[in-house]
Formats: sequence, C-alpha cells, structure tokens
Amino acid sequence: MAAPNSQSPSVRTHFKTPEGRYKLSHEKTHPSSVLHYSHGKAITQVTLAHLKDKPPQTPSTSSSSSSSGGVGARFSAARLLGTGNGGSRLNFGGGNGFSGRLTGGGKSTTVSSAGMGLSNGPLASSYDGEGTFLIFNVGDALFVSDYVSQDKDPIKCLHFSNANPVSHTYDPDAKDGHDLLIGLTSGDVYSASLRQQLQDSGKKLVGALHYNKDGAINPSRCTSVAWVPHGDGFFVVAHADGNVYIYDKNKDGSGDVPFPPVKDQAQFSVAHARSSKSNPIARWHICQGSINEIAFSPNGFYLATVGRDGYLRVFDYAKEQLACGSKSYFGALLCCAWSPDGKYVLTGGEDDLVQVWSMEDQRVVAWGEGHNSWVSAVAFDAHWIAPPSDESGESVTYRFGSVGQDTQLLLWDLAMDEVVVPLRRLGGTLSGSPAFREGGALSGRWDGVQPVGILHPAPVRKEVPKLAPVMAHRVHAEPLSSLIFTKDAILTACHEGHVKIWDRPTQGDSPARNSDTADASSKEKQPPVKSGLSQFKQ
Amino acid sequence: MVMGSSGSKLEKALGDQFPEGERYFGLENFGNTCYCNSVLQALYFCVPFRDQLLEHASRSKGSGETDDNLLTCLSELFTQINSQKKKTGVIAPKRFVQRVKKQNELFRSYMHQDAHEFLNFLLNELVDILEKEAKASSKPTSGQVHPDKLANGTANGIANGNHPHPVVTWVHKIFQGTLTNETRCLRCETITARDETFLDLSLDIEQNSSITSCLRNFSSTETLNAEDKFFCDKCCSLQEAQKRMKIKSPPRILALHLKRFKYIEQLGRYKKLSYRVVFPLELKLCNTTDDAPGSEAEYSLFAVVVHVGSGPNHGHYVSLVKSHNHWLFFDDENVEIIDESVVQTFFGSTQEYSNNTDHGYILFYESLEQKH
Repeated sequence: MAAPNSQSPSVRTHFKTPEGRYKLSHEKTHPSSVLHYSHGKAITQVTLAHLKDKPPQTPSTSSSSSSSGGVGARFSAARLLGTGNGGSRLNFGGGNGFSGRLTGGGKSTTVSSAGMGLSNGPLASSYDGEGTFLIFNVGDALFVSDYVSQDKDPIKCLHFSNANPVSHTYDPDAKDGHDLLIGLTSGDVYSASLRQQLQDSGKKLVGALHYNKDGAINPSRCTSVAWVPHGDGFFVVAHADGNVYIYDKNKDGSGDVPFPPVKDQAQFSVAHARSSKSNPIARWHICQGSINEIAFSPNGFYLATVGRDGYLRVFDYAKEQLACGSKSYFGALLCCAWSPDGKYVLTGGEDDLVQVWSMEDQRVVAWGEGHNSWVSAVAFDAHWIAPPSDESGESVTYRFGSVGQDTQLLLWDLAMDEVVVPLRRLGGTLSGSPAFREGGALSGRWDGVQPVGILHPAPVRKEVPKLAPVMAHRVHAEPLSSLIFTKDAILTACHEGHVKIWDRPTQGDSPARNSDTADASSKEKQPPVKSGLSQFKQ
Repeated sequence: MVMGSSGSKLEKALGDQFPEGERYFGLENFGNTCYCNSVLQALYFCVPFRDQLLEHASRSKGSGETDDNLLTCLSELFTQINSQKKKTGVIAPKRFVQRVKKQNELFRSYMHQDAHEFLNFLLNELVDILEKEAKASSKPTSGQVHPDKLANGTANGIANGNHPHPVVTWVHKIFQGTLTNETRCLRCETITARDETFLDLSLDIEQNSSITSCLRNFSSTETLNAEDKFFCDKCCSLQEAQKRMKIKSPPRILALHLKRFKYIEQLGRYKKLSYRVVFPLELKLCNTTDDAPGSEAEYSLFAVVVHVGSGPNHGHYVSLVKSHNHWLFFDDENVEIIDESVVQTFFGSTQEYSNNTDHGYILFYESLEQKH
C-alpha cells in the first residue's frame, strides 16, 4: 500500500478496495488563466450542493419589506428578488418566484419541464429545478460546476476582489433564503442563494448579505464556516485568531463591534452581543491560535473544533460548554468530521495521523497510520455498506477516508463492538496520565449527567490501537485538500483546484470477478471485513 | 555598528514587546558567507548553546588566555552581539570568518558553501577544542579522578587514568543523540546491536512528504542480501539480514538536515531537490526504540536554515528563528519580524520548476522535556 517512490509517480485512474474497483469517472477544473496556487493563501475546498426542486410559486408581493426582521424571526416565503448585487442590505427573494424580473442577464424563467435529476437529462439553463453542483475555490474565485456533467469547465465563476474565498458550505435544509456561505481570507463572510447565482450571468456575487465587512468584527482570516443544523438560518464562522462567531442570516451584518476584548487568550469564553441588532450574536473564544475546522454533529447538539494548539474540542452547542476534548499526538489538527450516528469524531493533522475519538468512551479508540504527510481532510462514508458478515452482528464496521498532503487517498475500516462498554461515563483521566480542566470561566455545576468537559492530553503511542488503511493510493499530482463521499462516488480535490470524481464499484465489480487484478491473492473471495483494529507493524 | 533601516522597523514592530536583554543583529556578508551567517543565527538563538559560549567568554577573560581558536572566536562574536548597547543593528563577524577559513581550506574560497557542512565542521571543531581542553586540564593529576574545575561542562575526563572515558563536552550534552544499529540475521534470528552517536541527522527526502515520514524512512528496515549479505557471528557465515537504525537516546537539540543536494549520475553533477517536505512546529520522534527514555518527548521548532536558489552552486542562505515566541527572518544584514504562518512558505515546491526556490534545509528542534 505504499506509494511508488519516484518524484513523479504515475497517478492511477482507478484503485482497488475490498469492495471492488473505484474508477475515475470525470474531472472538474478551472480555466488555467486563473491564477495558480500561491503559498497556501487559499487552498481549494469543495462543497457539494444539491439544489432541490423549487417549492411551488407563491404570490409575490411587490412591497419591499425590510429584510431585518425580528431577532431570529423566520422569514416569510414571499419576498422580492432584489436587483443589483453586493451591498450589505438587500431585499432578496428565496428560491421562489420572481415573476420574470431578473438581474442582469435576462434569462427567462421557464420552468424546466422535468427536474434535472442526478443521472441523466440535459442541464436546463434556467436552474429552476433540482440539480447537484460542486462549489470550489481557486485563488480569488469561487467556481460552480455541474456535478453530473462530464464537462471539465465550471458553469459559473464568482470573482472576489481584495480577498480570496477560502471556506464555503451549503445548507441542504434551508427552507428559503440563503443557503450558501462563503468565508474569505480577509475575514469577510457572505451568505447568498446558490440558485440565484446560477441564474445570474455575471461574475460577482448577487443578492448576498455581507458580514464582518472589512474585518470590523474580526480582521483575521476565515478558516471554516458551518450552518447550524436545523438552526433556522444560524451559522458559525471560525477565524485564524481562535475566535468563532455565531450569526443569524436573517439579520444584516452589523458594523460595530459588539464584544469586549478577550480577557484571557488561553481560556475558553463566550460573549453575547448586548444589542439585539447585533450580528454576530455571540463570540466564542476557543483558544490561543487558529481554529482550522469546525463541524456540527449530525443532530446539531455538538460543535467540534480543531486547531493550531492541537486540541479537538467538542462543545455542547446549546449549553455553550466544553463537553470533552483530546490532544493530537503532536502538532496542529487540521480537519475533523463526525460519524453519521454522532458517536465518533475523526481528526487529522500535522502528526500524519488520523485519530478516532469516541464520544461514548471519551477516549481515542484508534490511530490510523498510513499517510506520509499532513492529513488535510477526513470524512466518514455514510453510503458504504458493510459486506455481509458470518458473525451474528455483534460488531459494526465504519468506513472512513482521509486525504493528505502526500497526495494520497486512504480508506479505512473500523470495526466497533455494538455493545460498547464505556470505560468512564463521566470523562475521566486516561490511564493515569494527568488531565486538566479547561474552561475556568465556566461554572463547575453538575447537571446530573456530565460535568464540564475535560481536555485529555496527548495519547501515549504504545497505548493506542493502530489501524492500517484498506486502501492507499496517490490520486492527484498535488497535495490533496478535500474529500467528499456521495451516494455514487468519492470526490477528491487538490491544492491546485482540480476535482476528481471516482465512481463506486458497480455490483458486478467485486474483486473475485475483476479480471485485470494483477495479484493472485485478490482472485480469492475477500473475507468479510471483521476486526479492522490490527496492530500495525512498527 | 550601523543601524540598518530594517532594525528600526523591527524595534517599532515589537515596541515594548521587545524581549528584555535580547539583541537582534544582522550579520554582514563578506562574499558568499551567508552559509556561515545563517547557521550562526540559528546557533545564537539556541539558548543553551549561546549560554555556554557566553560563559566561556567571561571565564577566559579572567584567565588571560590568548588562544585563538574557533571556540574563542565564536564566543567572542556571541559576546559582541549580546553586549551591544543598541537592540538591533548589523555586525561584521570578520574575525570569526577569518578563523573559519584559516582552519579549513574547504571554506577558503569565495565559492558557495554548504551550510550543513559548515554546521558539521563547526560543531566537531568545538568538540575537538573542548576535548583537548579537558585533557589538558586533567593531565597533571593523572590517576586521580578530580572534579573538573573548568565549568564548561566536561565531566569525568579521565577515570582511573587507565581507560579514559570519552569526554562529554557541553556540545555533546546539547546536540548528541544515540542511534542503535540493529542487524537481525534472517537465519538464526540473532540481533546484533551497535550504538552510534550523532550530532545531527541527515535525512533522505521524498516529494510531498513530511519530516515525520522522512524520519520513518530513515529508520525503515533495509534488507541485506545478494552482494550485501551480513556476516553473522553465530552462523559464522554470510547470511541475509535485516538492518535498521533507531534512535536510542534522543538529543536535547535535534538538528535535522534535509538532503536536498543529490548527485545525479546521468548529469554528472549535484542537483537541488526542491521537494515539498512539511515540518510541524511541534514534533515527536516516531523512530525511537521502544525502551528509549524520553521517546514521547515533544520538540519545538526554533530555527530553520533555508537554502534559496534552484541549484547547489548558485544559492543563498537565510534563517528563520524563533525568539521569545515570535519568529524572525534573518537575511545577512536584514532582520524582520514574521508571522508564524510564514514558516510554512519554506516547505518546498510540489512542481519541478516553480517560482518558489526557498526551501527549508536544516531544522532545529528543542526538546521540551524538563530533565535536561
């Protein structure tokens, strides 16, 4: 599984796994005239956005109601699409009808005869129906590509002056209004409607709300943005100075700074905006040093953060308290991801490792060793189905993946016992090593179940079970930066802004029937995946 | 001492954050002496190393020694920097460079030199001088073990006068680590281990790798077979064997040399490998023997000597140094404050021909372990 040892190893167009061969289906890239990657100013991230069919047109009112409704008020469905672009205060329409009045380009609003669907059918140019899109940043631009189309070129380019888009995310559950978030290297943040961008022919963001304008609230770069799940339009932005802000998309970004300076840079603290007009509404100072990625647990109860100081921190979002946390082996943590059942958190970082943190056990349950450089992105494969096992279903196998700056994609299988016996329910210490309490500013009150969380120190190498990958391959020529699992494929992206889509093995493509496998051993039927926790040879 | 314009900028940038007693001085270049300047800056900001040299200088002042060697020249230079009235400026390390050139004809030309070769030469020279000093001081009372009066850290110079222990100088205490070479005969499974000391580690590098991965490769298992068979004492014959080198005793200061200059046979000359090799600001060694004390020790990066240029012969060296938690960029006379994130721009290039030719070449890590 080691990659070939040459300076320019051949990059394969397929890779083998226990479940079969993944084949390179198609690629997405950007016009080469767009500037090249320059020293990590902005590394390409990929967001997958599945636009649902538009809800039926509601009678649109012609009044231009103010968009700054009450605090946290949900927006009514009928609003007008505004004209013009940019600006920090705009009346905008959601995905609904705009009765023929459009910005710029003047495309007619023909309702597509059939929804675009994922698999076939031409892409209707009006983008009224559903569709799946890839959003990725390169340099000072944000590109949108059609996921299904084999065409390499993007269908939309959004240009940003003065700063580079560096983080973005899409809210598939947004009922109306804005569903796209974009964070920039200048610290500025925009929320916008993806559909509206697709329907506009220009190269600038339209109908967007602008937050932290000119870095007035926080001048440091945005590092990660996330919608609050089921959150009625609330979203969270992380910055390179260790601060995280909670915003409400239904309010304008306010110009004044609503928070007092952070008293103790080393302590976790939460400050709420005094005025109801403020947006952001709260600031969480997490730690000293950059927060590199944030991720909500699927149910929205927990917010995980990882950063420069090497700590994974899991916060109870509603209680605004640290639930638990753990240290990297060494170095900064660069990425984190939740398992679909919310039981595990993956982290990857500068120690070349992928760590699996168990929320129930409150400890690191496995270390993935296999990358030859820093781990840039981690993700669970929610669509992977474990092969049938002879066992009576006592164990659950999780499949996850990681991509690194070594240009490799690694896939892992982790088998966990169904009946988990937690070592310590209340988040105690690890094997006698000292733990310390974090969040001195927080009250030490017991709410009956769990005390304020503890940050566990770095694990001792000998004490953590090691996990070996089931697959390791160089999939790009450049360091990798992004990884997404979809129902039918794996998406990987590299620093230079190239995205590859790898189709999952088809039904008949099991290793036993695969005629062009080189080694004889794979011709035998693969044993069902059982214990993925093997002692990796030192 | 001319106050460069970068000096005043630096003072302004730090303001009252300027560390008490610290001096940030650039070094004048006398014609391709950047290989020397960059290493000197890294060593000056190696606090235990600097302290020893300052101590040595203050001791020899009193004794009226007129010895002119690399140790005295270096401690003189460091004292000169340390005792400047101004906080920033430029110093011309004339005497030191003259001494270097006198000592080693390799450095006599005005050609470009290799910074790692210079570091290696300097540390070994210092060890030689300190060993000689230690032996000289204990000679008159041979046969007796007496506590070394010289406070330069040498210990147990001669024991019993019969089997002299190797002198452990303060250079060793700071930079020396121990490797254990294990060779396992594949026939009888006997493992032969041989220890070897080192003052720095030279690592082969690969494209798109990390320093951790390079360290792992350094300690990877090599198979000895075909013409390279191993003579097993137990089997009394040549046998196939497996060999590997692991760190038995990690050093206090870990100096890692990235082997960026490779001899390419087809070209008949050296070529610079611009590979992107990432290195973290904190590090733990992955290639220690299981029972190595302090194998979980965490290291903190405090200096990087950077090679600038596309080839081995037309290059320049600069250094990045961490002092009191802020990073500084030293380019001969120029000194600038930089953000920690700038260190990452010196990892290397993913492409063969790139505009970026500034690559990390020697990394200096300091152990955070308290026992030292």
